[in-house]
Amino acid sequence: MPKTKTAILLIIALFALTACTSKSPADTATGTEDPAVESTAEAVDSAAPASDECLNCHTDKQRLIDTAAPEPPAETESKGVG
Amino acid sequence: MAPLEPWEKVLVDAEKFLPTDHGQIACVDCHGGVPLPDKDAAHEGLIASPSSEPEKYCGGECHGEQTATYPFALHSTQQGYWTALDTRGGNIPENHPVLEEMFGNHCATCHTTCGECHVAQPQNVGGGLFTGHVFETTPPMTRSCTACHGSRVGNEFLGKNEGIPGDVHFREARMNCIKCHEGADLHGTATDATTTEANRFAGMESPQCVDCHEEAVPGGDENPMHQVHGDKLSCQVCHSVTYTSCDGCHVAVSETSGNPFFETEATYQTFLIGRNPIQSEERPYAYVPVRHVPVAADAYEHYGDNLLPDFNALPTWVYSTPHNIQKNTPQNASCEACHGGNASIFLTADKVKPEEMDANLSVIVEALPPAVTIEQALNAPAMPADHLEHISDACTACHTKGIRNAPLSPENHAAYRDENCSGCHKLEQ
Repeated sequence: MPKTKTAILLIIALFALTACTSKSPADTATGTEDPAVESTAEAVDSAAPASDECLNCHTDKQRLIDTAAPEPPAETESKGVG
Repeated sequence: MAPLEPWEKVLVDAEKFLPTDHGQIACVDCHGGVPLPDKDAAHEGLIASPSSEPEKYCGGECHGEQTATYPFALHSTQQGYWTALDTRGGNIPENHPVLEEMFGNHCATCHTTCGECHVAQPQNVGGGLFTGHVFETTPPMTRSCTACHGSRVGNEFLGKNEGIPGDVHFREARMNCIKCHEGADLHGTATDATTTEANRFAGMESPQCVDCHEEAVPGGDENPMHQVHGDKLSCQVCHSVTYTSCDGCHVAVSETSGNPFFETEATYQTFLIGRNPIQSEERPYAYVPVRHVPVAADAYEHYGDNLLPDFNALPTWVYSTPHNIQKNTPQNASCEACHGGNASIFLTADKVKPEEMDANLSVIVEALPPAVTIEQALNAPAMPADHLEHISDACTACHTKGIRNAPLSPENHAAYRDENCSGCHKLEQ
């Protein structure tokens, strides 16, 4: 039994050490990086559809100018302070 | 506020919006429609304002707490309008359909959705995204709050009435509306229609000035004015200045365009102190500033005759909380500004239109505050605690004749009226 226990402990220790060394320094957040921003950006990348036709148009100022239905000038027949 | 161009109203700022929580949600999940390049095809089934159904689109795990109460909050129900309409209208069932038609044409545009505070300008000022579809926790004051509450509260708070300074909270501290009117107040607390508030002055006074100015309660500081007046006058009596009143609003539907319109007869600046028409445990003040609201007995005559048969059931000079607070005002500059016959700042009968006299009997000041010094006020003998049951303003009945061994009031009190007494003779604690 003691040998078995020792073997199990060695295997666990090996896994733990492997986990520690697998993270390169480049993966570690630096003092100038905001982890929240980074994780949000990643989430956007994964959540945003490859091609979102709604956004394609609604983020394109010129396309909106070209396609927006003109609104008639607001003429009110009201008089006085509302 | 300049109107936005049509394209400007719907331009999404991807850089700002997409990193936000709402930017993680696919457009069609809230707005419906079809993700196609052609505009008309894409807008098939479009839901322009998802928060018109707050529980469906905003509630659940995200904003469930707010959407549980908001459908019953005043910005959503507009119950304040109906409380006044039903009271002046006598709550006559056969008149309700036509009043509902009138309400739908002229009043319902003030109904507010979640989105009209948090992501876009209200529809009744033309709509349009605030910041490229970014949801704002704090509604931008001039594009949201005062876009609707502009002609009175907004102009007063921001100092847009010529010659009258803006509210000190804005001028000196750049406070916005939400600093006092917190989310919980605006999102409401009622959870069903039966507990919807009757109007904005129903129930607890919230916010209260003393929420921040804790020392201003009677006995809370050395200011003798707070000691003497703290329980008789609302804070605005001493700390607000001239504000806007309006007369004679009439509504109709245009015969030429078919559009609803209104016409007000007059808008003018006033500062008038009246008796508190809604005195209660929560608002115990005897005197408050009163503002003339533009209701008229024939305001809805376009829709039918005599739709406000109980017009006199509510005053036309109403409880008011002007949003132009100042530390120093003309009326708090000296005792004589109010005491000693200065009728100009009180709503006396001569300032009320004859046809509105009956409606305003509860508000009109009959007896002006007598001449008194601060020493007299502070040193006046306390009213015995057992007089609590007598506080029906009948002091002189005993104190001018010595009935029941009541001490006789001095000669210099001859001009005083019953309602003046408790101003100095505070009830013994």
